[in-house]
Amino acid sequence: MNPSNPPQAAEYGGDEVSAIVLDPGYSTTRTGFAGEDAPKSLIPTYYGKYNADGQEKLVFGDDVFVTPRPGLSIYNPIGKDGIVEDWDMAERVWEHSFISRLTGTKAGNPFQNGLNDVSSDELPTEMEVESEEKPLSDSPLLMTEPGWNPAKAREKTIEIAMEKWDTPAFYLARSGVLAAFASGKASALVIDIGASNISVTPIHDGMILKRGVQHSPLGGDYISSQINAIFKANSPQPITITPHYLISSKTAVEAGQPPQVKYKTFPADKAPDASYRALLEERTLSEFKECVVQVWPGPTKLSAPSPTGVSNEDMARTTPGRPFEFPDGYNQIFGVDRFRAVESLFDAKAAIPDPDSPFPPPTPAQTIPELVKASLAGVDVDLRPHLLANVVVTGGSSLLYGFTDRLNHELMQMFPGPRVRVTAPGNTSERRFGSWIGGSILASLGTFHQMWISKKEYEEHGPNIVEKRCK
Amino acid sequence: MGRKRNQRKSSRRGAPLRSHHSSQHSLLPPITMPPFKDEHILLIAPGSQMTLAQLGLPETFTPARFRFPTRMFPAEKKGEYEPYRVHERRQEVKASNGTDAPKPDVEMKDAEPAEGTPAAGTTVKTDENTQDNDESTKTIEEVFYEEDLASDEGAIYPIENGRIVDWPCFFALLTHIYNTLSPPFHTPIMLVGQPVWSARDREAITQFVFEKFKAPAFSLMDSALAACYGYGTATATIVDVGKGKVDVTAVTDFAVNEHGRGIALEGCGGDAMTDRLHELLGPKGFTREMCEQLKRSNITEILPPGTPLPGSSATARQGANPAAAASTGGSDGDESAPRGPGEGTQTGIEGSNGDEDEGVLDVAAIVSGNPTEYLANVEKEKTTTKKGAADPKGARLPNSKKEKASFQFEEFVQLEGEKAAAHGSRQYVRHARDIEVSVERFLLTSPRSKVGNRLTSGILEDIATQIHHTILAVPDATKRSELWDSLIIVGCGSKVKGFTQALLAVITQKFILSPSATIFTSEIPSNFTTPLPTGANTPAPMSQSGPMYHPAAPGVNPLLVAATHNNPGMPGVMPGTPSMDPSMLSHYRSTGHSQTPTSVKTLKLPEYFPDFKDQGNSNAPGASSGSAGGNPGASGTSQGGHGMEEAVFLGAQMASKVFFVIDQGLSKSYLSRVEYNESGPSAIHEYIL
Repeated sequence: MNPSNPPQAAEYGGDEVSAIVLDPGYSTTRTGFAGEDAPKSLIPTYYGKYNADGQEKLVFGDDVFVTPRPGLSIYNPIGKDGIVEDWDMAERVWEHSFISRLTGTKAGNPFQNGLNDVSSDELPTEMEVESEEKPLSDSPLLMTEPGWNPAKAREKTIEIAMEKWDTPAFYLARSGVLAAFASGKASALVIDIGASNISVTPIHDGMILKRGVQHSPLGGDYISSQINAIFKANSPQPITITPHYLISSKTAVEAGQPPQVKYKTFPADKAPDASYRALLEERTLSEFKECVVQVWPGPTKLSAPSPTGVSNEDMARTTPGRPFEFPDGYNQIFGVDRFRAVESLFDAKAAIPDPDSPFPPPTPAQTIPELVKASLAGVDVDLRPHLLANVVVTGGSSLLYGFTDRLNHELMQMFPGPRVRVTAPGNTSERRFGSWIGGSILASLGTFHQMWISKKEYEEHGPNIVEKRCK
Repeated sequence: MGRKRNQRKSSRRGAPLRSHHSSQHSLLPPITMPPFKDEHILLIAPGSQMTLAQLGLPETFTPARFRFPTRMFPAEKKGEYEPYRVHERRQEVKASNGTDAPKPDVEMKDAEPAEGTPAAGTTVKTDENTQDNDESTKTIEEVFYEEDLASDEGAIYPIENGRIVDWPCFFALLTHIYNTLSPPFHTPIMLVGQPVWSARDREAITQFVFEKFKAPAFSLMDSALAACYGYGTATATIVDVGKGKVDVTAVTDFAVNEHGRGIALEGCGGDAMTDRLHELLGPKGFTREMCEQLKRSNITEILPPGTPLPGSSATARQGANPAAAASTGGSDGDESAPRGPGEGTQTGIEGSNGDEDEGVLDVAAIVSGNPTEYLANVEKEKTTTKKGAADPKGARLPNSKKEKASFQFEEFVQLEGEKAAAHGSRQYVRHARDIEVSVERFLLTSPRSKVGNRLTSGILEDIATQIHHTILAVPDATKRSELWDSLIIVGCGSKVKGFTQALLAVITQKFILSPSATIFTSEIPSNFTTPLPTGANTPAPMSQSGPMYHPAAPGVNPLLVAATHNNPGMPGVMPGTPSMDPSMLSHYRSTGHSQTPTSVKTLKLPEYFPDFKDQGNSNAPGASSGSAGGNPGASGTSQGGHGMEEAVFLGAQMASKVFFVIDQGLSKSYLSRVEYNESGPSAIHEYIL
């Protein structure tokens, strides 16, 4: 390696470029180096704000789950529809996601870090310190976006990447397309079950078919609200979740018995507010989803009678329940209710009514089968069979037990003619990080080199270049 | 100045003098490498306070032979660093005398050990002044540079809470360690990495190691994984209690789970406990240094939650200034040769070098022959006998039942008077006295009353919460139960008596599920998928049985407990509830899983490294505290249940044996120089373990 030789072009575009892939979601933000098989950094998109010593302080990352801060409240820079609302904070959260685990701090002044022999008289008397060190000045950045991201938001994104982070090259890719790539498909119908949204994205030859993109808010958070509705109507007594941070110790109780617990109290001016409690309740709920919640396997709806004449619901009752213990020690067995929590994703009528829920009752058009139908209606007739044969399931909430079976049944019923084939990676992390993995593959391809928007191009054409280049 | 020191060092070492291997790469064979040898492996494990290092793997693995305080002092030239504080001393030498007064060096050897008092710097000045006063016209002023081994004034600590905050200083420290150990050319380097280091940090270190040391091979191993190697287990939850932070890592099948990992959790380390003690005892006249020694003493203990404190009132000896308490061993120390300056900070430099040349390492002899150690033992005996005499009744009670207990506080007091002046240098006397403490000594993990930025509920609860969070974030849900059952607690912060037990108790009362919540999805199915460690890849079978803590809450039917936990002690008891019909089980529980934890246990440490076991606490004096005088009296503190807080270093030795010697790079476990030349520093990411 002669240092005076310029790097060859073929070498440069390949794996040697340590591009960073940033996949911002509503619930978590995933970041890592291209070419790796899982994001190195996974942080919640939620951030905390509190006051200490008269100053407003922000807290990012997982830490907030472990130790609360005085008067902490939780925010999310991304709106319920998956589009960034608070750009300043989105930038901070994203920046934290790569600084904390990937780029870190600089290894010091090159004159003094021990790697270079500089004689003392060569040392510049005053170090020309860059006024502001920018975090990404030597890493190209690939970011993902939802299929319905408006042009303004896209331009703002490249602006942040280029001007605030100083990335030498940038690309913005649709998360649906990337999820298809992660499954090794250039054409697919991607069904993404996220935290705030579910979306159906038709992709043909690596291009998104914009008219077919459908999304609705029946994601993981909606399922949580349904579970809360179940808890409220629970017999023998309604269940309230008390997160771990409010509990100092608990005593084991029999199933269904009221909890015996010693609560922790915070002084009123120090106690974290309701948004923090909601965030931590959500953690218990996601444990509940993992351990208890189940999708009725089908082939017919939960409310429908089964072929034997017994209603499906009665069938579900005969299956053994699953127990769950709450942080305060209350535990009980959940029977048929555990099927009802997700049923409304497929059957709007099955939604559990709850007047306090932040989610309005779902309309039939918001359910997954209807979204798929609407999506296919928006694409060319000739493409439909091909898309149905390549259905890709991704997103963390799709990990609900029995989800893909049910989806398969629903699609086969709806489209009896063409062959329906559902692809869902069995590996948990491949399912959760589908679009990140696709981005990792894409950014590490040698041929992708020509796709990057370079800093020079950006400076020449302005942020609008993203509309032309990242279609 | 630096040259002068180096010369002295190498001559003292008696090892063949080697220059800094700047031309070394030309000596290396270009492609094919001869196999690495055990005795040519350099291990470095940097920590926020102490950096452990060792050259060569002994026959049976031992605790690290070298301990360097993780600090450097700025040298005169900007950007350069010295391992010790160097200060100028001007001395008048008679011109006619001719002797160049090699005094400083000699004196240094005689000086008292490294644990210095902050006042050290000022006293030097008085020395100078007195010297200046009787200056005569016939003398020439000469400037001596004196290494002050006792002082940590102006020290730069390059690592804070695991993070590298001062890169040039960190690199200087690595260089100092490298030069001190002076490895031969063909030495692969194993560095134990802190979890908090970012990818770029690791690249920078890789680049430094290859370009500065010209290492033929380099391996950067995650400290959590190293702990797993030390315990010979593939799956474990590692809790690393350091000085200022705690790391909690879930390792499954030798893979570190990055997501949800508790990295550098602040306010949970050993310092936090000292701070709490200081907060409690500060008003009673305790200095922070006293609290630090109290924390290390064997009367300090963390009691499991709910244990009543001995005595009714939580008041310590009132009024009496502890500093005025009975002073005892002021007479010892001084000139008694053994405690030369070297031993205090870098245990056994002299001792080990001769051995290196022979290739046979009798580390036990070194350690037992270590004067510091020896003295510590003597000291300990003295303490115990004395205590027994003074308090014959209380001595029979266990510590946790005694309302008051005393520990021996030691400090180094400047020797004053003519003797010191005659030497022209500082002399210290070790000054020991007993200080009595009340029940505050049990409260070191209670939450601090001064709430900072965190609403902490005490460090144990914070750590427990982090463990819960970390294990819950492991994507493979079937592994979680095993992770709860294999906690590994390492790090010097965990050495406080009762730490492990109290932590387990906190987890039990906060997170353990009641048997009724788990009876229907007992651990039976998941036990099929998680085989017990067979010891296939470890030299001796590991026993994971014998839970330290019975997970069940009190008052629960023991049969239920036995049924749900599938206790190895009662293999015959199987749950007999009707719902356990096997066909139903297989149908409905094949992929679903049950909640965790139903139990929590620590892993038993391997039996086959007696050195580590015996040495469990040997690093107390000086080692875990570069600045704050170690308390040799506390070195014998017995730890209930664990004594291997340096399992990380043991693991690093085992890993280097496997990586460098046994499979010779077949498993892609180290980055070779050839590959580094091809791909650059970022290639390290493919090898990071």
